[in-house]
Amino acid sequence: MTEAWLDPAAWLIVLPLLWAGLAFLAGPGRGARLAIVALALQLALALKLAADLTATGARVHAVGGWGAPLGIDLMIDGLSTVLLLLTQVVAVALAVYAQGYFADAHHRREATWFWPLAGFLLAAMNALFLSADLFNLYVTLELLGLAAVGLVAVGGGTAQLAAAMRYLLVSLTASGAYLLGVALVYGAYGTVSIATLGPLVAAQLPLAVWLAAGLMLVGLMAKTALFPFHFWLPPAHGSAPAPVSALLSALVVKASFYLVLRLWLGPFASLGSTAAGLAGALGAAAILWGSWQALRAQRLKQLVAWSTVAQLGYLFLIFPLLTADGLALQAGVLQTVAHGLAKAALFAAAGVLMLATGRDTVEGLAGVAGRVPLTLFAFGLAGITIMGLPPSAGFLAKWLLIDAALESGQWGWILVIIAGGLLAAGYIFRVLRQAFLLAPEESRFHPVPRRLEWMAFVLAAASVLLGLRGAELVALLGITP
Amino acid sequence: MNRLARGVTVGVGVALAVALVVALLELPAAAIHLPGTVAQHLAQSGVEHPVTAVLLNFRGWDTLLEVAVLLLALLTLLTLSGGQAAVAAVEADPLLQGLARKALPLIILMAGYLLWAGAHRPGGAFQAGAVLAAGAVLLQLAGLLPAWAAPGRLLRLGLTLGFLVFLAVAAALLGQGALLQYPPASAGGLILLIEAGLTLSLGLILAGLFLFVTGRRA
Repeated sequence: MTEAWLDPAAWLIVLPLLWAGLAFLAGPGRGARLAIVALALQLALALKLAADLTATGARVHAVGGWGAPLGIDLMIDGLSTVLLLLTQVVAVALAVYAQGYFADAHHRREATWFWPLAGFLLAAMNALFLSADLFNLYVTLELLGLAAVGLVAVGGGTAQLAAAMRYLLVSLTASGAYLLGVALVYGAYGTVSIATLGPLVAAQLPLAVWLAAGLMLVGLMAKTALFPFHFWLPPAHGSAPAPVSALLSALVVKASFYLVLRLWLGPFASLGSTAAGLAGALGAAAILWGSWQALRAQRLKQLVAWSTVAQLGYLFLIFPLLTADGLALQAGVLQTVAHGLAKAALFAAAGVLMLATGRDTVEGLAGVAGRVPLTLFAFGLAGITIMGLPPSAGFLAKWLLIDAALESGQWGWILVIIAGGLLAAGYIFRVLRQAFLLAPEESRFHPVPRRLEWMAFVLAAASVLLGLRGAELVALLGITP
Repeated sequence: MNRLARGVTVGVGVALAVALVVALLELPAAAIHLPGTVAQHLAQSGVEHPVTAVLLNFRGWDTLLEVAVLLLALLTLLTLSGGQAAVAAVEADPLLQGLARKALPLIILMAGYLLWAGAHRPGGAFQAGAVLAAGAVLLQLAGLLPAWAAPGRLLRLGLTLGFLVFLAVAAALLGQGALLQYPPASAGGLILLIEAGLTLSLGLILAGLFLFVTGRRA
């Protein structure tokens, strides 16, 4: 155990808040180097947190020293630590990527307030993963949503502003539903601390709490872009600058999913079983519809964004399969991590391909295989995870999911999982095939900084290699209070 | 299609409203009574007013993040409006200008009073900051203060100061065992320090939400 003033959990929130504030203070376009150094430190802190967790078990950091229900508790357990690790790994790689991306003359203007916005976004994510208080979670959701909307708008184009506005309206409505739920819970029990609520909900379930659970879960599903609430995601993620798309698709949608999972496993455990089939069905619809749209997409980033809609569907397949053996939960968390790494890699690679060809169409990719081979390799590697081929972490996740479906005798879901994998292969190979065609005579290629290619590759390789270390991740996940 | 969507929306809204009313009518008595717990610990909080004690001490963590939300709202606004050139103040009524000049010292005095009063009665940094912001808006409408363009270094310092002071205090108190764990003896002083910083910064942020937008429109 470390000394109190060095508590990595506290610094994982304080540090990004600090560099976000300082980056704003430094002025327009500044803060890249500060962010990269701070994010490297955050990664070290997250590793330290995981080591401490393995050594001493789950613990609570009582902010203000009061303890719930008077004060606010931060909760450090396996689930929160896995997501913190994912966030810091993806963020540090994307920060290095973003510094190179915004150095390009065409994109310099987009960097005006990128760094402080990204800092607040990451602070909100870390605060959300650690919080164990329903109202405090609402505040982190607001911080996260507003930072994400700001990031979608950094491009400043009409399409981007329209996408940002639509995203803002969905995000605010969803937050409002969540907040109404929190108010009902507070009215029914007099507390918003998740740990305190557990036994109270088990003892008594008034109608208000059913309503609260419905409002909160629907709000969070809208924020996670679960089918049929996915309509805001492709324009927002598809039109933002590449580093922003990567951050949003890899991490931000996972934060609200994490919260659904927390509520479903925690205070609303006794309510969840009634809606489990519905959540699974929506997940299945998301897989099929998202993959189909990705197959038809004309623009590369739209394709990758629709793939996010599909891959998020797998996360909701776990709800009808949740059992005491924890297989489905492990599958869900592995899928979260695998998709986080792979989707960051795909958007990073798509950004490189756009810089190289000067276009955002799948058709315009002809000939890139010879120009940016490393990036195309990264795209293929990340594609392996998305398709769910061995030895990637995506394979492990889908394998566990099929295992869980077999054990509970729910065969239908297996067909959806296999169909989703085949459709994913379809849209990934569509890109690769186009890239290996000969370039038309008149096409011109722009040089791309090497570091962009390397960051896409590192993220993609991590998503594949993680499959070999899945056991460690599962062991970490098993540490609960 | 449009009419169908509207009908469904209204139907869902009405159903939700009815369900809410029914749920609230049969709401049981809460198992936990937090106001009692707050009153019990008020003496150790460093302030005498329960609302300030909750906002700055018991749930100070929420407030710290809320201040970040406000700063972020301004940042998002700046992102949306891009960098505009400074706009000259509009000509206005001399009567309004005279009134604004007379009102300004009172507004500042009022903000200072609200900040001080927060320790023992309704008031505090948010209210004081809102009054300061109203003063800035009044000056702009009277043509005495130009609308703001992209924020300069001094303005950025003012906008972030309250947040950074709050964050520094929260982190410095980690040595006591946890974030924002005030030692009871110095809690009152530290809360006043935080609130003073917040009054200035929240005033500027709230004023900015108006002045940056007017700068854009003109």
